[in-house]
Amino acid sequence: MSTQATESAPDLDATDVTFSVRNLWKIFGKNADKVIGTDLERADRDRVKEETGCTVAVRDVSFDVRPGEIFVVMGLSGSGKSTLIRCLTRLIEPTSGSVRLDGEDIEQASDQRLRELRRHKMAMVFQHFGLLPNRRIIDNVAYGLEVRGMAREERYARAREMIDMVGLSGYENARPGELSGGMQQRVGLARALAVDPQVLLFDEPFSALDPLIRRDMQNEVVRLQRELNKTSVFITHDLQEALKLGDRIAIMRDGELVQVGTPEEVVGRPANAYVADFTSDVARTTVLTARWLVRDAFPGERTDGPTTAPGTVLAQVLPMLAASTAPVRVVEGDTLLGYVGRDDVLRAIAEDQLNDVDQVAAIVEETVEEIPEGAVDHGDVTSPGDGA
Amino acid sequence: MATVTEPAGDTATGPSGSKDTGSRGAGGWLRGSTVQALLVVVVLVAGYWAARLMGDPSWAGGFPTAIGDRFMAWLDGIYAWVVENRNDSPLFLYFFNYVSVGLGSAVVLINQFLDFLTWSGVTALGLFVSWRFAGWRVALLVLATFAVFALTGLWNESMTTLSLIVTAVFIALLFGVPLGILAGRSEAFYRGLRPLLDFMQIMPAFAYLLPFVLLFGIGNPAAAVVTAVYALPPVARITALAIREVPKGAIEATTSLGSTPWQILTKVQLPLAKRTILLGVNQTIMLAVSMVVIASVIGAGGLGDAIYQALSKVNVGQAFQAGVAIVMLAIAMDRVTGAVGHGTHVPHIPERYRLPVSAIGLAAIITAAATGRLFGLGGWPRDMAVDIADPVNAVYEWIQSEIGDFTAVLGTWLLNGVLSPLSALLTGSPWWLVVLAAAALGWIFAGGRTALVSAAAFVAIGLLGVWDNAMDTLSQVLVASAVTIALGVVLGVLMSRNDVFAAILRPILDAMQTLPPFVYLIPAVALFTIGRVPALAAAVIFALPPVIRLVNDGIRGVPASTIEAAASQGSTKWQLLTKVELPMARGSLLLAVNQGIILVLSMVVMGALVGAGSLGFDVVFGLSQNMLGLGLASGLAIVCLGLFLDRVTQGRRAHRA
Repeated sequence: MSTQATESAPDLDATDVTFSVRNLWKIFGKNADKVIGTDLERADRDRVKEETGCTVAVRDVSFDVRPGEIFVVMGLSGSGKSTLIRCLTRLIEPTSGSVRLDGEDIEQASDQRLRELRRHKMAMVFQHFGLLPNRRIIDNVAYGLEVRGMAREERYARAREMIDMVGLSGYENARPGELSGGMQQRVGLARALAVDPQVLLFDEPFSALDPLIRRDMQNEVVRLQRELNKTSVFITHDLQEALKLGDRIAIMRDGELVQVGTPEEVVGRPANAYVADFTSDVARTTVLTARWLVRDAFPGERTDGPTTAPGTVLAQVLPMLAASTAPVRVVEGDTLLGYVGRDDVLRAIAEDQLNDVDQVAAIVEETVEEIPEGAVDHGDVTSPGDGA
Repeated sequence: MATVTEPAGDTATGPSGSKDTGSRGAGGWLRGSTVQALLVVVVLVAGYWAARLMGDPSWAGGFPTAIGDRFMAWLDGIYAWVVENRNDSPLFLYFFNYVSVGLGSAVVLINQFLDFLTWSGVTALGLFVSWRFAGWRVALLVLATFAVFALTGLWNESMTTLSLIVTAVFIALLFGVPLGILAGRSEAFYRGLRPLLDFMQIMPAFAYLLPFVLLFGIGNPAAAVVTAVYALPPVARITALAIREVPKGAIEATTSLGSTPWQILTKVQLPLAKRTILLGVNQTIMLAVSMVVIASVIGAGGLGDAIYQALSKVNVGQAFQAGVAIVMLAIAMDRVTGAVGHGTHVPHIPERYRLPVSAIGLAAIITAAATGRLFGLGGWPRDMAVDIADPVNAVYEWIQSEIGDFTAVLGTWLLNGVLSPLSALLTGSPWWLVVLAAAALGWIFAGGRTALVSAAAFVAIGLLGVWDNAMDTLSQVLVASAVTIALGVVLGVLMSRNDVFAAILRPILDAMQTLPPFVYLIPAVALFTIGRVPALAAAVIFALPPVIRLVNDGIRGVPASTIEAAASQGSTKWQLLTKVELPMARGSLLLAVNQGIILVLSMVVMGALVGAGSLGFDVVFGLSQNMLGLGLASGLAIVCLGLFLDRVTQGRRAHRA
């Protein structure tokens, strides 16, 4: 089961980390500095509000975003996720903590330097698009290049390329008001991509869209991510979206990160009852893969079962197991990783059927205890969780 | 509704709030305060008779004038100093005189430019610009306006007025737009600016005049500055609002792309706020039109002067001619600038034709001007004007002979039966009783703070030494306001009942609201000759449109579901009106009362020009006789009256916001 421990402690070496966030706090209100470093630091939101009048939006958050990954931050409304992503580009000034982009401390950047970073290195896509209704689509897309001072011909050429990429060719001269919500968000996406940023920040970009269009746009993001190899931070309140897009998912509650992990880890091994409750509606067999359940052969077990890749989801492993009594062999390239048997899959399904959160947690905890110390992803989780 | 009317945490909740527990609702609150207000009036009347019976002892008379006299003398001293030092003091030498000369030259320059274009060039320019920015309908209106300027023989006066308006609007925008932008971007600045703008908007136009005469002397420069100052609040306020209303999302998105604050302003905030700002510009221009006419009192030339002269000679025909010219000017100005703001009916010209079209327009204007100069034209020749002054005067004579007796009887009755007793009551009562009554009314309708403001305003009026005249003006305001509100509520209710009536009335109200207040004096004089009564009539007509409109809007704003619910429980129409609609429209009704009274005040003061006397007359008299102390003191007293009337009628509305 050692393969589960894909998550390692955050590496302070900046070379293989794009965003490095450490002990980030955002407290709204006049007496913000009266909270950090006092007893109130650990107090719950209501108490802080009562005693100081301040609202804790982001509480002591630390995480790393690696190059090329989609890092999803998921939480319900009011969990502080939108504030968090705005702190990354200082649309909201954090109260304390550090945010490093490629090793450069963004919090220390001068206004001038911050603008440079915003113009060249990171671009954001917003829930309500934030397009300028008085400008044509092409001028909206070219806006970031325009404020950089790029010449008109050059920026229009680039903007046309981007409009083409998001599939809006022919709408260059339309105004945002003439486009549907989904198309407007494509403009928002094109605008962000036009500046060729290293990092894309998505703030619930698809929450305001119809379900069908939302699915299209999600596929679009996956496609662009694959083609352009950007690093993305993606905020959502939709677990399905998080599971679909996220290479890793951070679950946020009341301003704190509760768990950071791959989709499989979040679903298969929730850090506490809150996450378990959150993920209880997910069909595990569609998220967990063969890699998740792989184990060494039991003594005397048949080892001639059908083979499958480690990335196969359990829903697809099931028919193979049904067809053969032998456990499925999980093979990556030429290497045999191990076996997945009927019992393993059954247990995964059983967890799925339990509606009672405590029962799930009980089973999960049992499983967690089997994992050797240090393999769990405590590193990225700032607090071990409040419900455990 | 009842819960909304009781402001939580207000230090001075009215006595009605403490006596009952809000179970009576809005109507009850109103009844309660009405009874109390009546009590105050009864006490005042009793005080008046008591003073009378005691043979008017000196401690129970009008406000002692000693302090006021000294104050006026002091002001006169200042004026004398200014006159003496206007050409020596560095402040005047290097600032006010420069501004004065600069503005005077600006007006003259623009006037000369219009003159240079000749009437044909000006007409071509007006037509092309209005067609390009507001469509051909408005262009036709502009053509009609120029025709009126020409045919009334007032072409040159109209051009002077236009030059003054252009100069004043330019100054107003030069300061107003940046102020608005600052207020839009800085919360602190906005909070500082807003009370000042509020105050400027309740000040009657007449009260603005004198201080500027002190600084700039009599003539066009002072007129331009006073007009600019008077017209500035709307554009500053609306610019601030427009900038603040730019969607946060757009700002955030463009910030996240690395825009500088200047880029945010020029690429996001101003373009998105443009249309709204243009509406503010429209309002500013309309205020400028109305003020530029009033400023004829301090020596501004043009159409206003024509009316002023004609009214002082009671030549209704001449006044009517100039009035028509101003009315056309105001309507055309409103349509052109309004259309620019709304962006409606503008001819659609493809991008590539825009430059050629402008070039053709320019060529047409130049040709027209050149032709004009070739034929030695200037302004429209006076001998080609159609003089309608005489026929109008004939009609006026006829009106006077036909219904003059009736209006005279009505006027006399109003004067002897209502105005004079009220005026006598206010001037004849012990002054301290009047101050106390004002304070009591302030407390009843708006709470403790307003009570203090009211008392202070009345004491200030006394100290200014114009107590009697101020009380006389107040009595006129009260009578005209009562008539205005009564008529306004009835008409407003009718308008809300009947869609056909509303459809007919609405464009009339629209047109009436664009007219400068000055022109309302003309029909009033035609009906009632001169005196206090025509001033009151003009005030009522002037203040009526917004009152009707607010009442109508308030009643129509009552949710249909509420009316449906009340009707389903068996209310009669009358019950619906009195128990549901009027109480629910209370906010609008209070606003209507407030607006009505403030407008009446500004007009009653202007009524001095047709013989209404009192404070307004002192302003004009002070101006014409170089008695600046009297004029300034009267102007300040007008401000005090305005403050009192506004604060009291604002009621608790301000607290709720």
